[in-house]
Amino acid sequence: MQPSKQTLAWMYEMMVTSRRFENAIEKIYMEGKTPVFNMANGPIPGEMHLSDGQEPVAVGVCAHLNPEDIVTATHRPHHQAIAKGVNLKKMAAEIFGKSTGLSGGRGGHMHIFDPDVNFACSGIIGQGMGPAAGAALSRKIQGKPGVAVSFIGEGAANQGAFHETLNLAAVWKLPMVLVVEDNAWGISVSKEASTAIARNADRAAAYGIPGHYVSGNDPLKIYEVAGEAIARARAGDGPTLIEIETYRLAGHFMGDAEGYRPEGEKDALFEKDPIPAMRETLLDGGSFTADELDTLETKAQKAVDDAISFARESADPQPEDALTAVFA
Amino acid sequence: MDNERKLTIARAMAEATAQEMRNDPRVFVMGEDIGELGGVFGNTRGLLEEFGKTRVRDTPISETGFIGAAVGAAQDGMRPVVELMFVDFFGVCFDAIYNLMAKNTYFSGGNFNVPMVLMTSTGGGYSDAGQHSQCLYGSFAHLPGMKVVSPSNAYDAKGLMTAAIRDPNPVIYMYHKGLQGMGWLGTEAGAITHVPEEAYEVEIGKAAIPREGSDVTIVSIAQGVHHGLKAAKTLEEQGISAEVVDLRSLVPLDRETIRASVAKTGRLIVVDEDYHSFGVSGEIIATVTETNMADLKAPPKRIAYPDVPIPFARVMEQHCLPNADKIVAAAREVCKAPVSA
Amino acid sequence: MATNITIPSDLWEGGEESVITAWLASDGAKIAEGALIAEIMTAKVQHEITAPATGTLSIAKAQDEVVAKGDVIGSIS
Repeated sequence: MQPSKQTLAWMYEMMVTSRRFENAIEKIYMEGKTPVFNMANGPIPGEMHLSDGQEPVAVGVCAHLNPEDIVTATHRPHHQAIAKGVNLKKMAAEIFGKSTGLSGGRGGHMHIFDPDVNFACSGIIGQGMGPAAGAALSRKIQGKPGVAVSFIGEGAANQGAFHETLNLAAVWKLPMVLVVEDNAWGISVSKEASTAIARNADRAAAYGIPGHYVSGNDPLKIYEVAGEAIARARAGDGPTLIEIETYRLAGHFMGDAEGYRPEGEKDALFEKDPIPAMRETLLDGGSFTADELDTLETKAQKAVDDAISFARESADPQPEDALTAVFA
Repeated sequence: MDNERKLTIARAMAEATAQEMRNDPRVFVMGEDIGELGGVFGNTRGLLEEFGKTRVRDTPISETGFIGAAVGAAQDGMRPVVELMFVDFFGVCFDAIYNLMAKNTYFSGGNFNVPMVLMTSTGGGYSDAGQHSQCLYGSFAHLPGMKVVSPSNAYDAKGLMTAAIRDPNPVIYMYHKGLQGMGWLGTEAGAITHVPEEAYEVEIGKAAIPREGSDVTIVSIAQGVHHGLKAAKTLEEQGISAEVVDLRSLVPLDRETIRASVAKTGRLIVVDEDYHSFGVSGEIIATVTETNMADLKAPPKRIAYPDVPIPFARVMEQHCLPNADKIVAAAREVCKAPVSA
Repeated sequence: MATNITIPSDLWEGGEESVITAWLASDGAKIAEGALIAEIMTAKVQHEITAPATGTLSIAKAQDEVVAKGDVIGSIS
């Protein structure tokens, strides 16, 4: 399954949008936090988990999804939210804690909910898997179209919910794809130190479903494997487990000194940055000119700039808004 | 003071654990990022270097697995010190905590003990939102079979950890993130106190009175104690003498000290960073009203987190949190002092 | 003759400033050489400051103050 030129353009634009967004957020996050790094300070307080380097996973999978398809994601959600089509202005406003944010400022960066595109994320490891299965179940019961994709990290594959959800999805043949983003680190603990087998994709066998491992953080390879899995789900043939090797170019959270990473590891990863690599692939393939790619980059930057301006200019919530929206 | 040495709570916890590990080979530590990293909140610093990977074990993200394992290890004679990184993560492993850890002593008629410590971080105020900022004091204190402690300062932190490790019962050791002394969460200077080098215990189940007073009793735990102390200082300037009770333990609850203080002052304010309803603040008030109605000169007041999930945005979160200003206003009200402009 | 407690210039790379996040001894306390007396933090990393001499501590810069490499934060006499 080869992506069309239109799809390739979309993938590249989304990767660039995502990276430019993370760059902008990273810079703004540090406002008010130097020289004293107090997480509570600045226009974007709290924790921040950036997705630099992991863009291929988001675009390779979400290229096959429609707004009616469901995505659940983790504490590191921005690239997947962008690829799923979450309203970027409202998402930025939510990250800034503004009243115009998706949740009016109640959720913040780890709790991005957009009903228009069926996207939700949350901060407890493994949490999104059950709800993805449930959304898949709901569509199946109602005979409505839709596939649910749950993005998790490789560390989450050691949570009980992983095993329960896969078994449930398999036994009920749910239209679901579980995507494991393998960035090799669960905060400071490496995959080798935490996981009994080398590839979580092999765990699919335990549930009688297909499992695929995609190495090299290549958006086109991911696109192909994800496409098959999503088609399988749409056809009513049940769930698939995909594990994708990707690179966490940022720390676990902003403020992470990453002393636990072996020396040179990060530098080596930056040389494999998937965005310049994708640009080269598209130029070498002959399907795009440099001008066309530049235009996409300009478009991406504008979307990010507009979103950030919107967020900055929006009003804070009223303090008493904290007490509303608890119940419907 | 000669040879004064102050520690942050993070260092005090690590020191207590290291000292017990030197004396008792049964003590070992497990949890996420407690090894190489020394704990996300600094409370296991130095342990991996000193004791090695067998006794200081970084775990996979498998709370039900390793907390359940701690129960089994404790029943088999070990003394595990396990970390649940954020108390908010309790949802994925509460069965191991409350159906096993808390109940096996009882189920076995005392034939099995579960001598383990479950240490976990609590507290908000820095915009970490609803799944990383809770205190959940009530949720843990309410369920029979486990002791629950939370220090407000480094001296108590070390003593309570030592006591917890030596206790034959399961102890939930809750440490407030705002008091750890991590630097990246701001530092509460009042939590950094002198800590003796030698090992010592702080009795579990005994409250402390860091500030004596005569007009109103302010009861709290962990971060709330510091809000209370700041409020007491302001109240003193306004002619109101406030006594601050630092519970240090929720289970067992030192009801005697609470009652004795209210018998002295006649007025009670409870400061609780956990949710308002069905929790610690109600329990403390009931403790007084059940037996000491005649002592009360005014209805008890509570300054507790409202019954809402914790919001992310700063203005909303700060609106909900207890703070010294709210305590001062409440104290003025119960003392019938005119409310200042 | 007082010994200054100075932020070492080789404690971290680069010219960024740090903040004193904790004094681990009080003004006027008696300190032994080598004792841990303060924690400072640059953007991401916590560093320890130890006493360069034995004696009585005098604090010059308070907790939460920003300090640069080479700054004197206190002295021991």
